Amino acid sequence: MKPRIAFFDFASCEGDQLQIVNLEERLLELLQHVEVVSFREAMKEHSDNYDIAFIEGSCTRASDEERLKKIRANAKIVVALGSCATIGGINCIKNYRNQTEVRKEVYGDKYELFDTYLARPIEAVIKVDYKVPQCPINKEEFLSVAKALLTGQKPFIPDYPVCVECKMNGNVCVFEKGMTCVGPVTRAGCGSCCVNEGAICWGCRGLIDNPNTDAHKEVLEKYNLTPQEVMNKFKLYFGWSDTNAQKPQS
Amino acid sequence: MKSRVILKVEFPHWIASLIKTENVIGIKAKEAGKFHFGKLRSSGELRLDYDVAVLPPKKYLQPPKEDLLSYNIASFKVTPSADFQPITIIGVHPYDMHGINQMDAVFSDENKDTNYLGRRKNVKIIGVDPVKASAWSFWHDMGTAYVDKGFDLWLTDIGDRYFIEIGTKSGENLLKPAKTESASKIDIERHKKARSGLKNICSPSRRIKTDIKKIPDIFRANHDHGLWEKRAKTCYSCGSCNLVCPTCYCFDVREDMELNLTGGRRVRVWDGCMLEEFARVGSGENFRKERSARFRHRFFRKMVYMKEKIGALACVGCGRCASACLPDIADPVTAINELSGLED
Ligand code: SF4
Ligand code: SF4
Ligand code: SF4
Ligand code: SF4
Ligand code: SF4
Repeated sequence: MKPRIAFFDFASCEGDQLQIVNLEERLLELLQHVEVVSFREAMKEHSDNYDIAFIEGSCTRASDEERLKKIRANAKIVVALGSCATIGGINCIKNYRNQTEVRKEVYGDKYELFDTYLARPIEAVIKVDYKVPQCPINKEEFLSVAKALLTGQKPFIPDYPVCVECKMNGNVCVFEKGMTCVGPVTRAGCGSCCVNEGAICWGCRGLIDNPNTDAHKEVLEKYNLTPQEVMNKFKLYFGWSDTNAQKPQS
Repeated sequence: MKSRVILKVEFPHWIASLIKTENVIGIKAKEAGKFHFGKLRSSGELRLDYDVAVLPPKKYLQPPKEDLLSYNIASFKVTPSADFQPITIIGVHPYDMHGINQMDAVFSDENKDTNYLGRRKNVKIIGVDPVKASAWSFWHDMGTAYVDKGFDLWLTDIGDRYFIEIGTKSGENLLKPAKTESASKIDIERHKKARSGLKNICSPSRRIKTDIKKIPDIFRANHDHGLWEKRAKTCYSCGSCNLVCPTCYCFDVREDMELNLTGGRRVRVWDGCMLEEFARVGSGENFRKERSARFRHRFFRKMVYMKEKIGALACVGCGRCASACLPDIADPVTAINELSGLED
């Protein structure tokens, strides 16, 4: 019997599910090996009977936790998709601010009706088996994870910094071009795509397992960033991670 | 070695004719004043006055990612990949030529590497003596300012003309469309002079203050020196120092399955001993878990183990690792001088 898969979203832009829809013919090819039982982005039907759950988005309220726990109970394998789900992503920028003020800003004087708490990756709530990082996810990596799961292998997600891919691509390091980036502490796997295009690495794939963040902060300061600017670099995507950037406010 | 000269006014015509008949890779300008090897489309793109290439030409002999074989589990068919296009690389510097000669030695060792050797057979090399050096270079002191093998042709700028050493028969064939002359006494004199001036191109601040023959012993004696621990504190384990190095050859092998779940390819990709996962073995154990252990290992590979294995230091003094390392800890010059007790 084909494995049954389901997609779910929490606080997110649905960009990751869109990437999957964008697979077009290859999505059809993938569908020969699986049965999709729930996918709001692409179909109306829904079932609670599935083997693999793909979850996009961060958990941003206590009431989301119930839904997440239910998914965990139903699924054999849970895969987090995208920065928001895997590392908390840009949703965590709000964690550095006063939460009541944030609510007032978004919901106006009815803010008390809307519950919210510190944005967090879904792993902060339930056990996650595999993570497909990036903002949005890379279609190829999603396929490679899907193929691994379908053949009973462990998906390959690199645990080395973006610099590795930058070097393989023969890029001139942005530090030599008067810019700075967080690539030396960020998980590779995107093929250093932003640097290839002349931009910098913002860190959307999150920190590697054992990042030398202290060393990188020193380097950024050596390249004339103020401590505040350094902190902002780390806040963009690493807010939930242990970066010592600043303790989040509850 | 046979030699010829070619006037600089004739030189572009020769390159243009090579571009018509060969698949030519040349040294070209990249952004931010940097240079790289890439497909040469016109003779005007060639920048033989470069200092150093971002990546050494090894990327054409051992590509960052290459197919080893393709397989099909349904039909039990395995096909080795052997698509090695002939190429001609123009503008290889002596230190990088040394790097390639070392890779040749490593890959034709006990375990012959068919992919590397298959490619190497199809690569012709036109080298050139440097006229500039990057601020990080120190090949003047590593015994790599000159090279006498591995190339097909070698160029030296001697004013209004290039002196050409002919290394091989295929080098001689490459010269066929060129309007060359036999080297005069004056040309030979100028060539000698240009050669003896080579060592003054690297900055005097990049001197190795010890006799390089002593380097392996100096490192062996300093296995437990505090330098490893101290420098590794700010190491990212980013592998940049490995990946830009002309003598690093490590790779990882991965499977790349097709979506039909029956066919696929086995690929190999660059790896580096500074990466945390590099020394993890099948059982899950990592035998160089500490940054400082990996950091020391890389230096020992360059300065001790490879000397034992192939008879040459595996550092050719290109300075790429030093320039790529943002925390500025990878530099062999300061490490060698510090361990020799000669750092000022
Ligand atoms: S541009 Fe960024 S990611 Fe690339 S090598 Fe430089 S520091 Fe590393
Ligand atoms: S280069 Fe950096 S910001 Fe860009 S996709 Fe990769 S990890 Fe994300
Ligand atoms: S020594 Fe420098 S370049 Fe090498 S892994 Fe460490 S930080 Fe990266
Ligand atoms: S062991 Fe390290 S230093 Fe040696 S070739 Fe491999 S990566 Fe380079
Ligand atoms: S160790 Fe550094 S300086 Fe020596 S050859 Fe390698 S990259 Fe060049």
